[in-house]
Amino acid sequence: MIQIACPYCGPRDEAEFAYRGDATVHRPAEEAGFHDYVYARANPRGWHLEWWHHTGGCRAVLKVLRHTATHEVRAVGLPADRPEPPSA
Amino acid sequence: MSATEPHPWLAGALVPGRFGAAAGEPVRLGTRACELVQVLARRDGDAALQAAIRAAGGPDLPPPGHAAQGERMAALWTQPRGWLIQAGPDAGLARRLADACGPAAAVVEQTHGRCVFTLEGAHARAVLARLCRVDLHPRAFGPGRVAVTPLSEIAAVIHQTGAAPGFDIIVASSYARAVAGMLAAAAAPIGYQVGGDQMGGDQMGGDQMGGDRVD
Amino acid sequence: MSQPFRTAAGGHVDRAATLEFRFDGRALQGHPGDTLASALLANGVRLVGRSFKLHRPRGIFSAGVEEPNALAELRTGARREPNTRMTAIELHAGLEAASQNRFPSLRWDLMSLVGLLGPVLSAGFYYKTFMWPASFWERVYEPRIRAAAGLGRPATAPDPDHYEAMHVHCDVLVVGGGPAGLAAARAAGAAGARVMLCEQDFLFGGGLLLEPAQEAWRAETLAALATMPEVTLLPRTTVFGYYDANVLGAVERLADHLAEPPPHTPRQRYWTIRAGRVVLATGAHERLIAFPGNDRPGVMLAGAALAYLRRFGVRPGRRAVLFANNDAAYEAVFALQAAGLAVPGVVDARPDSAGIAAARARGIAVWAGAEVCGTAGGATLRGVRVRHRGGTGTDTLLACDLLCISGGINPAVHLASQSGTPLHWNERLAAHVPGAPVQAQLSVGAAAGVTGIAAAAADGARAGGGGIPLPDGPAQDATVAPIWEVRGRGKAFVDLQDDVTADDIRLAHREGFGHIEHAKRYTTHAMGTDQGKTGGLVGAAVLAAARGVPVESVGLPTFRPFATPVTWGAIAGHHVGRAYAPERRTPLHDWHLRHAAEFVEAGHWLRPAYYPGASDGDVWDSVLREARAVRRDVGICDVSTLGKIDVQGADAADFLDRVYANTLSTLPPGRARYGLMLREDGIAFDDGTVARLTPDRFLLSTTTANAAAVLAHLEFHLQTAWPELDVALASVTDQWAAMSVAGPRSRETLAPLIEGLDLSNDAFPFMAVADAVLNDGRGEICPVRLFRISFSGELAYEVATPAGHAEAVWKAILRAGAEFGIIPYGTEALGLLRIEKGHVAGAELNGQTTAADLGLARLCKKRGDYIGRALAQRPGLADPARPALVGLRPLHRSDRLRAGAHLVLPGGSDSLGWISSVTRGVALEGWIGLGFLRGGLGRAGTPLHAAFPLLGEAVEVEVVSPHFFDPENQRVRD
Repeated sequence: MIQIACPYCGPRDEAEFAYRGDATVHRPAEEAGFHDYVYARANPRGWHLEWWHHTGGCRAVLKVLRHTATHEVRAVGLPADRPEPPSA
Repeated sequence: MSATEPHPWLAGALVPGRFGAAAGEPVRLGTRACELVQVLARRDGDAALQAAIRAAGGPDLPPPGHAAQGERMAALWTQPRGWLIQAGPDAGLARRLADACGPAAAVVEQTHGRCVFTLEGAHARAVLARLCRVDLHPRAFGPGRVAVTPLSEIAAVIHQTGAAPGFDIIVASSYARAVAGMLAAAAAPIGYQVGGDQMGGDQMGGDQMGGDRVD
Repeated sequence: MSQPFRTAAGGHVDRAATLEFRFDGRALQGHPGDTLASALLANGVRLVGRSFKLHRPRGIFSAGVEEPNALAELRTGARREPNTRMTAIELHAGLEAASQNRFPSLRWDLMSLVGLLGPVLSAGFYYKTFMWPASFWERVYEPRIRAAAGLGRPATAPDPDHYEAMHVHCDVLVVGGGPAGLAAARAAGAAGARVMLCEQDFLFGGGLLLEPAQEAWRAETLAALATMPEVTLLPRTTVFGYYDANVLGAVERLADHLAEPPPHTPRQRYWTIRAGRVVLATGAHERLIAFPGNDRPGVMLAGAALAYLRRFGVRPGRRAVLFANNDAAYEAVFALQAAGLAVPGVVDARPDSAGIAAARARGIAVWAGAEVCGTAGGATLRGVRVRHRGGTGTDTLLACDLLCISGGINPAVHLASQSGTPLHWNERLAAHVPGAPVQAQLSVGAAAGVTGIAAAAADGARAGGGGIPLPDGPAQDATVAPIWEVRGRGKAFVDLQDDVTADDIRLAHREGFGHIEHAKRYTTHAMGTDQGKTGGLVGAAVLAAARGVPVESVGLPTFRPFATPVTWGAIAGHHVGRAYAPERRTPLHDWHLRHAAEFVEAGHWLRPAYYPGASDGDVWDSVLREARAVRRDVGICDVSTLGKIDVQGADAADFLDRVYANTLSTLPPGRARYGLMLREDGIAFDDGTVARLTPDRFLLSTTTANAAAVLAHLEFHLQTAWPELDVALASVTDQWAAMSVAGPRSRETLAPLIEGLDLSNDAFPFMAVADAVLNDGRGEICPVRLFRISFSGELAYEVATPAGHAEAVWKAILRAGAEFGIIPYGTEALGLLRIEKGHVAGAELNGQTTAADLGLARLCKKRGDYIGRALAQRPGLADPARPALVGLRPLHRSDRLRAGAHLVLPGGSDSLGWISSVTRGVALEGWIGLGFLRGGLGRAGTPLHAAFPLLGEAVEVEVVSPHFFDPENQRVRD
């Protein structure tokens, strides 16, 4: 059970959130980018910047830096934030 | 308009009496009649919203995780730039707030859409520990604190109203009966009382799920 | 004589009280403080089970949860529980237990003849047998294997007990209440931390319980802990799993040691513990040595023999021999000798050691540099065969009825490993110890490879913050000279529970399953309820020898929860039966109940499916009656469950244009419009009605099932893609009750009730929306909002009112419509009506269909961006040959249509499409259906079959417009 430190609500169990995928992809302005936006994912074994929606709490959409192999959550921020993965 | 009980079905959700474990101090379970209105600040409306709430007899809007009490209404933080405003029954709150806020905020009546359970007593935290995941220990939570978190799977707003401790638990009214049952089941190992002073004798073996439900 | 093997004094049992219990029907006696195993040994019961595969006689092997052999079926009736470890069952008055896996009795088990097939029943035999003839598998082999396999029998009646869950946060969680754990808890508690101390046993103390000299320290420590208000002590509580973020799971057994749970007490409690720091003081397990006949009753771990003597006051036999490779094990045999057992000798694999010297000093015969190569006796041990290691000499038979074995000590690293802590090989112990933890955690005491009570307590105290008194105690040396296996004639077991021998491990390696994870699954080594706690490493060592590599390079199979078995009841908690999921009720629920509605579950919601009438014979009678009433007169249906979302803001209209495929910004205030939402991949997501109340306020509805998903979808896009938009969203699903008043007489029904609104067709046309007041003429005056929308295809009004007014409004409408024959109708009739009308619903919006498939392409915006626009244009989704929505009727009107049938050409086998929804009609005769067909309505006139191969059916059908009823929409616009 990973815990996510919601900036508004404090640390909460992952069960309070809905996972919403890769946060590095952005809705394109042009038609050309939509296939990649919807389907193409880096799917790294390592640090992953991703969306978690606090649907069981304050309903904020959070940007989370999580390591996909260890489940370590390194940073949690709001959509406008840009947490950096730690250097290898 | 007819003065209406917003949740006529709530009256039957908690059966009066003393139930559950006999030893020790029971917790008290009940409901609270009130008006509830959601206010969501609109773009650039934060200052105007705060002014409107103050002018209407409300408090300074509290930060995340907190409630604040004003003269005529209380405000509970429930989401970024969003609060649940609470006042006594028949306060006409939605109309007054809509008029006061204008375009500064979206004002959404929720008096019928939400209902409020009350849980109070020395062992109230132990009851909630069976249902919710947040830390309610005095070192982490206290009077005036608010947590928006599920009660089992049901979205809830948990507001500690007193040091006894006492809690208001706000849930969607369609789940009223389910939540009453959950609270009763969680309180049974401790012992709980619904309504008035201690009734004569314990109603052992009775529970909140009589009548139409067959478990 | 009762309890012939009980000592006169000593141990943590209360000899002043006697407990009566039954084992295999035999009445026996024990004392408070006994386990079932210790009480059985006190009564001289040595044979307690039959092994899983080979039905060999088995005895009590250990004194704890690591027990592989002594598995009991506990209790009878609805509380019967199989596979419980006799060594961990707390004895209580009236306990009833039975051995397992034997017929007709433990002593005379027919299936022990299976043992004669031993050579054939090697590991993985079932992968190589039972294959021919193929037809025999289901009829012959599988039923026989099922009957022969398995261990205990579960109860077959519903569990009369209940279970609950608890969530807790603490600063320090200490797992294990031995010397290290007690010291850690006390130190942390003295510093004011919120501490939880979990101990799986019913007594705190661990190894302290075997040392009378330590009793004062144990008692004093427990007394100190009891005075600390922020310290919670949980005995009978097993921490079974270590998860991310220092979250751990534990099960507290509140009532397993009682005949019945006290009133209002759950039987067990499932704890989810969130700890700031975790101290793992989980101790260690002694390991076995694999030698032929090591499974005979009377062979027991040395530490267990010591525990039975010291903790339970039981002599586990009369003549004891020790076979060990370490000094720590000698304490057992010295204590047994002091308690009056004869000790014919000790067998030490090492040529010399402190233990050997100490034994000789006590006058005990020593075989140094020797090994046990076999055991003698039938169902109980009579003697052991001893020979020198490496030599070729003959072996000597030593007469004994108890063989204490010790291959060394394995720190109990299960939880550390589950948490991600890597394991390192410790040469001195020849065992794995925890390395550097990755979570906020420390392993202390024996769990970290620290031996001796004083050292363990010091370790624990340091972890807890230090500064508390520690027990005294001699240093202990657990250095081992590894000996994993003794080769010889006969089966040498590495896993006693699953009957896995050293030969089986070598077979797995020969057959290519040389990786420890493969060998484990091929042989089932360490897969039983004991998870290989006493033999897992021994099997890994045998595998290492077969591969010619060091033991540590083979590793161990991944540790996963549950470290010891957990009952399903504890996991389910209150989520059982009707409470499995919470019930969600509409504001009219009580009315529906009083009127005998039959309910259907829609997610958590309960909705009336139909209202059986007195003269209705079956469900269809009710449904057709309700639907006819709507088509002919008027009906009322509770539609409160549909999601309702309030959307406000200067950019609300723009926002809705971006999320719906059709245009909403052109909707005037006071009007409603159908809205279709797509997913970003172009597939239809949800549909509903959008009403515009003011220029910057909309109310949108969703399907019942997707209400939460749509709200999340809108919030997600608003916060991440379009944060600049001025839009506020609020769910008002529960604030408003909604009821559909539908039928040709609906206007006449409502008009007299509604004030402030002219309901004539000109003033309030199709798709109009307005607020009004309902006056029932009896004093109830309720605010209402009317939407002139129709799912049924009839003239209809959706009447919304705040939930508290719902019953007053509903009853007022029923009274007003009585003269027109108004009746309530449920979801079944609602479904019938919408299918006749050709409205799509969940079966059509199934996550695979596009707007074009649904016949809604014309709705989609030609200009302007919206979610799903780009990818809906992909050739595969825009292909006109895709199956498109059609209506279907059987050619022979009495034929039945089935949803899920495939549409094929007569004689063809290629599926051209499928039927998605079916119903019997009221406006048309016979069954009708909606479906998707390649070529769509272009195939009108083509004969097709609706094939349902599972039932062997094929029905001739004709393709027609999906709008079976009033395709011109005249009735709704009336």
